[in-house]
Amino acid sequence: MADKSDVWQGTLALMVLKTLETMGPLHGYGIARRIEQISGGLLEVRYGTLYPALLKLEQEGFVSAEWGVSDNNRRAKYYGLTRAGKKQLAKEAREWDQTTAIIARFFSPSGEAS
Amino acid sequence: MRAFRAFLSRLAGMFDRQRRDRELDEEMEFHLQMQIDDNLRLGMTPAEARRAALVKSGGVESAREACRDRRGLPAIEIAVRDLRHALRLLARSPAFAVVAVLSLALGIGANTAIFTLLDQIVLRSLPVRNPDQLQMIWTTGPSLGSNQGSRAASYPMYQDFQQRAAAFSYVFCRYLTPVSISLGSRTDRVTGELVSGNYFQALGVGAALGRVFTPEEDDRAYKGHPVVVLSYPYWVARFDADPAVLGRKILVNGYPMVVVGVSAAGFTGLDPARSPQVRIPVQMKPLMTPASDNLGDRRRQWLQIFARRKPGYTLEAASASLQPLLSVILRAELDSPALRDVSQRDRDRFLARRVLSESAVSGYSSLPSSYSRALVALMAMVGLVLLLACSNVAALLVARSAARQKELAMRLAIGASRGRLLRQLLMESAVLSTAGATVGLFLSVAMVRALLGFLPANGMLATLRAVPDWRILAFNAALALATALLFGLAPAWHALKTDLWDTLQQAAGAVGGSRPSVTLRRSLVTAQVAFSFLLVTGALLFGRTLLNLKNAPSGFHDIGTVITFQIDPARSGYPLPRLKAFCQQALQSIRSLPDVKSAGYAWVPVLSGREADWDIVVEGRAREDRDTQAWVNGISPGYWRTMGVPLLGGRDFDDGDVAGRPKAAIVNRAFARHFFGDRSPIGLRITLDTGRGAQPDTEIVGLVADSLYEGPRQGMRRQVFFPFPQMNQSVGTAFYVRTAGDPAGVFASLRRKIQELDSAMPVFEMKSLEDQLDETLGTERLSATLSVAFGALATLLAAVGLYGVMALTVARRAREIGLRMALGARQGALLWMVMREAFGILGLGLAMGFPCAYVLSRYLSSQLFGVEPADPATAVAAAIGLVAITATAALVPARRASRIDPIQALHHE
Repeated sequence: MADKSDVWQGTLALMVLKTLETMGPLHGYGIARRIEQISGGLLEVRYGTLYPALLKLEQEGFVSAEWGVSDNNRRAKYYGLTRAGKKQLAKEAREWDQTTAIIARFFSPSGEAS
Repeated sequence: MRAFRAFLSRLAGMFDRQRRDRELDEEMEFHLQMQIDDNLRLGMTPAEARRAALVKSGGVESAREACRDRRGLPAIEIAVRDLRHALRLLARSPAFAVVAVLSLALGIGANTAIFTLLDQIVLRSLPVRNPDQLQMIWTTGPSLGSNQGSRAASYPMYQDFQQRAAAFSYVFCRYLTPVSISLGSRTDRVTGELVSGNYFQALGVGAALGRVFTPEEDDRAYKGHPVVVLSYPYWVARFDADPAVLGRKILVNGYPMVVVGVSAAGFTGLDPARSPQVRIPVQMKPLMTPASDNLGDRRRQWLQIFARRKPGYTLEAASASLQPLLSVILRAELDSPALRDVSQRDRDRFLARRVLSESAVSGYSSLPSSYSRALVALMAMVGLVLLLACSNVAALLVARSAARQKELAMRLAIGASRGRLLRQLLMESAVLSTAGATVGLFLSVAMVRALLGFLPANGMLATLRAVPDWRILAFNAALALATALLFGLAPAWHALKTDLWDTLQQAAGAVGGSRPSVTLRRSLVTAQVAFSFLLVTGALLFGRTLLNLKNAPSGFHDIGTVITFQIDPARSGYPLPRLKAFCQQALQSIRSLPDVKSAGYAWVPVLSGREADWDIVVEGRAREDRDTQAWVNGISPGYWRTMGVPLLGGRDFDDGDVAGRPKAAIVNRAFARHFFGDRSPIGLRITLDTGRGAQPDTEIVGLVADSLYEGPRQGMRRQVFFPFPQMNQSVGTAFYVRTAGDPAGVFASLRRKIQELDSAMPVFEMKSLEDQLDETLGTERLSATLSVAFGALATLLAAVGLYGVMALTVARRAREIGLRMALGARQGALLWMVMREAFGILGLGLAMGFPCAYVLSRYLSSQLFGVEPADPATAVAAAIGLVAITATAALVPARRASRIDPIQALHHE
């Protein structure tokens, strides 16, 4: 069944968008590594989760993809944030802040926040 | 918005799949290589680096699958795959596919065809503003005057309603009449509609060109509005859609009138079956119906009243509000001089007249209401035929799925979901029904063309179309869907209900299918028998009705060699004396033709559904408190000889019976019996009751045998005939010509004779009297022909179904039968064993069919003639027919059963 490192689809999309915002255009492997690094190795991004998620973002028009050449001279597909993607990121980030704030309020009075 | 964009790109993702797959593979390959490079950098050996990378990245295949699902639209892709699968399967058994598609096409096509007519004649709302506010208004009871057409009213009564009815925003009227339109050297006879000035406003219909009538401009002065509005189709057909037609003068019945406009395209009028080509202000009535100016006469009822309700009124409330108004009008009418000497009984009946009303949301159809009733009945019958076709296809599918049970069980066993398989099986039904519906749509166009041939062919149905519009297409598509579910669902559900283990365990080669499949098929066939019993009963009832009507004694002799045609000189501008002279000249001229044995003419054409009737006053009797109605016609000398009706006493009219000479009449036997009992009527005096102290000044000079008037359904009327030259009003004239040889050979010379006298005189409705009778019986012919066809089709379908289920039973019980034979059962006993089962199904089906047929035939009772609705002979005949067909259908499998080789049968499993 799902191990601890499996990423949750909805948050993965947010992470991908955020990654592309900070790093600029990046290929799939780069995105995966970056997410793993930021998570401190707690998350593991597999083909089966990453590429369908990228495809979905592309279909929705939040990222654009084009083929380019990597640092070590290999052909690679680079993903970049579109204007719609930036807006979407800002919106989702705001919602995320709100959600976490609300959840935090639920947990803080009892003092049992882990 | 996002979702739509994603949907579009997924739709695009269904194409060019290979390239996308390749790109994804390349991308993942790059991902893997980068991972390996990183691992190498961490100091792993190449082999380790590769393995670790593979583990970390996860399964390539599942990623591919996930991306593919995400890329396209899986639901559509699966449907497409199912479609291919279904097409492959059907291609593998073409005989099954062809039989199924054809029977569905017949069923769906016939349904679509009948619906096309039903929709246009009965169901469709008028294409006007808020048609649901429209209603038709008429009154019941004796009018103490003349009536022309159904639901007629007098013009003054219309005016009273129009000025004083508070519940309506508009009250308007119309009257249809044929008119002659002359332009250049050509004269056409077309349908004209005389309308009140507010007609177009009330309906909310505008002009496509120029203007339509308004109450201010076109309804003010008696005979003072020589203006015409053309219908859109007539403008296109006759005037080539030329806008310069505005302001042009045309001759209408020889009277110059100005075209002021063309009504909106798509507006056909209040009667979808009879759409006028021109509309004329009703104030022009005296000029449009020569020799009868009824506009101011309260005793003449001829126009039809329609009204638009004010918002907030129901139909019932609005028409109830007219009742007090009618009472006031009637009381005032009784005080008029015309009704001074009316008997007390008639007075009471007159005052008891009531206002009736009916929604005119679909307008008012001049087609006999029997026609729409017949269509409803036929729609029900054809629906049954479709059910039969569906159940046959369902039975075929059950047989197929029985053969495929092992395949399905296998697929279930290796993990296919039932829903997935159900979808696949239903896809097969959908393919069949779609193909059936498509073929059926084309069939229906041909069928509607044929059906229109059953209608009176005098151009009144120009607006009925055979070409399907979106409503028909929608109906057709709905039928396809419904049938697919109807015949597909039960077999599919049944196929998937099977017990996996049992099916897989069963020995190979079990063709018969499991027990429940036989039960299902048997109940389908039982229903089929019931349906076909219904349809055969209907066919017999309609068929006998038609035969009874056709063979009803007409009183006329050998009507196959009598030609009839009509002319209408009054509408070519002939005043009455010239008209009479013209008819007389034409008669002389026709009699001089070599093939003509005799000829005559009449005022009202017989066997055409038309009539004129009047109350009769007899000399020496006070106004009688009883039915004094008689049916009237005006005839020329020679009429009786031509029609072959014998003179029973007195004399025929001769050339001396003209205007100015003593008035003469001939009556038929029914008339004489009604008014005079056994006394001879010759020499007695009568007159038409025109209401104003009419003097019986007309002497009965002859007595003739009874003959039909409107048609066979109305029977022998009591009739009185006057010499045509002594009548002082005229509609058209119908000529009757008895020929020596083939009537069709004389048509051209008859036309020529009329044209020699007046080259611009239209000659119309030329045909043999027998064809005229057939035309009058159009509804009955339609019902009889179609119901016989449906009945035959239904019986055939039921026979096929029965054959199928019996063959299946025999195949399934082959072993048992073999065993019985081995134990010494005789062939005859085995034959009977199978037949008994078939007759069991038949008996059950008949038992179900009987009560349904009883109810159905009650509904049809008004359509029948000379047969009782619940006629036992008919039911027995239908049952015998079905028994014979069943026996034939079951005999083949039964004989096969009796010839089974016991050794083989027992070896078989």
